[in-house]
Amino acid sequence: MIISSGKSFEEIMELLKDEDDIFIVGCNACAAKLHLGGEEDVLQMCKQLEDVGKHVVGWVLPSAACSVASYDSLVDKNPDIKDAKAILVMGCGSGVSVVSGVVDVPVYPSNNTESLGGRSHGKVLGELCALCGSCAVHEFGGICPKGQCPKQLLNGPCGGSMKGKCEVDPEKDCVWALIYSRLEMIGRLDLLEKVWACEEES
Amino acid sequence: MHITQAMPPTFKDKLSSDAFLITSEVSPPKGTCLSEVLADVQLLKGQFDALNVTDNQRAVMRMSPLAVSKALLDSGHEVVMQLTCRDRNRLALQSDLLGAYSMGIRNICIMTGDYTTKGDHPKAKPVYDMDSVQLLAMVRKMNQGYDLAGNAIENPPDFVVGAVSNTDPSNTMQMLKLKKKAKMGLEFIQTQAVYDTEQFKSFVEIADELKVPVIAGIIPLKSARMAGFMNNNVPGINVTTDIIERMEAAEEAVEEGLKIAAESIRDLKRLCRGVHIMPIGKHTNTPKLLEMSGIGKKNS
Repeated sequence: MIISSGKSFEEIMELLKDEDDIFIVGCNACAAKLHLGGEEDVLQMCKQLEDVGKHVVGWVLPSAACSVASYDSLVDKNPDIKDAKAILVMGCGSGVSVVSGVVDVPVYPSNNTESLGGRSHGKVLGELCALCGSCAVHEFGGICPKGQCPKQLLNGPCGGSMKGKCEVDPEKDCVWALIYSRLEMIGRLDLLEKVWACEEES
Repeated sequence: MHITQAMPPTFKDKLSSDAFLITSEVSPPKGTCLSEVLADVQLLKGQFDALNVTDNQRAVMRMSPLAVSKALLDSGHEVVMQLTCRDRNRLALQSDLLGAYSMGIRNICIMTGDYTTKGDHPKAKPVYDMDSVQLLAMVRKMNQGYDLAGNAIENPPDFVVGAVSNTDPSNTMQMLKLKKKAKMGLEFIQTQAVYDTEQFKSFVEIADELKVPVIAGIIPLKSARMAGFMNNNVPGINVTTDIIERMEAAEEAVEEGLKIAAESIRDLKRLCRGVHIMPIGKHTNTPKLLEMSGIGKKNS
């Protein structure tokens, strides 16, 4: 899922300071799971905006903001969108972009899009995948160093890790320590021997 | 009839000899004037087999190591230009390498590079287009006459290539990475500062299998506080308790630090191919350290 964080309401108000008659498009996929674009979050946003004197003309909750097929599909869900002078999308950057492509009024984001991650054991996990377009995560025990190592090192750790922690964020485990543990667990430490060449190398 | 003049041996020649190597380090200035750097290393002339020139060390912006290396060469020093993966993509790395060779730089030492957030421009875009193993492979390929993409290079370089390593043999992943670096054709390894000679012995056993000459790092301590700070903040450094106790007990801490470093050098001389001396600050005490260690061999 796409990991986002919510902009502060003050920041959203700054974006919308010259706008009124606002229509809200939520997102029932990733943003909803992060409590940043589901029904409750959209209703809360409507209330907050109205409390500060903005007129909200309506809202809609597509299954995913990034998969809105057309303007008509939004109208089918809530014809009040026709009265909108601005749209606030409570999804990720892809959702904002797709919605912008089907409407003819200004569109604003309520969230900051951060990474491709996930949620498991009740925890949000960021930066699991770097979207590199040539997946080899199985070679690293399912822990991608391109996504999770700040230096994206494929051939092993840098010299900056201390006591198994990351040079960049000492709160985090060095991803190479995690890869080692995982490969040890599945009996595939041999994979660590592989030398990863640059893609361009011929 | 040819008149041949014997050329002094190069760092490369010495690597393949039995000579005990002494290298040291120079930090480029944050400014445009090189006179202070040149004056500092003037003290060291003839004492070292090569001087490393750091590359935006600790991610702090300084003069290009290319320019400083050239100035040192012109002043009669042999240099090892350091090159990190942090600030340049593959195009910039290759063009700087060609430029370096054309200026007479023959030795390079490759490393990943401290992360941008550690330095004085924390918002800088970190590049890491390639890692140190891949960069070593690229230099080897350039030496063979091809760029990374496989295009021919006219008059290819012939660099002597080294890399760095921590010396804790229990750090399996670090040792594995060192093995990968060695596979790429390493000609020398310069290590993080060594204080634990016993641990270093086990490291040398691993390095011996790789058949790469090891040059052990030396940082003379200036205080017990500095030792504690390095243990807690500098990756790969392990100042042992007995050394810290000696520093705490010493009346003249700087002198004691030099004494400890000199003892280390004497021990290391039996274990590896050389030492790499990295004083914190200027080189004022470096000639004295060489003398105390009994390796001030180049005074003659």
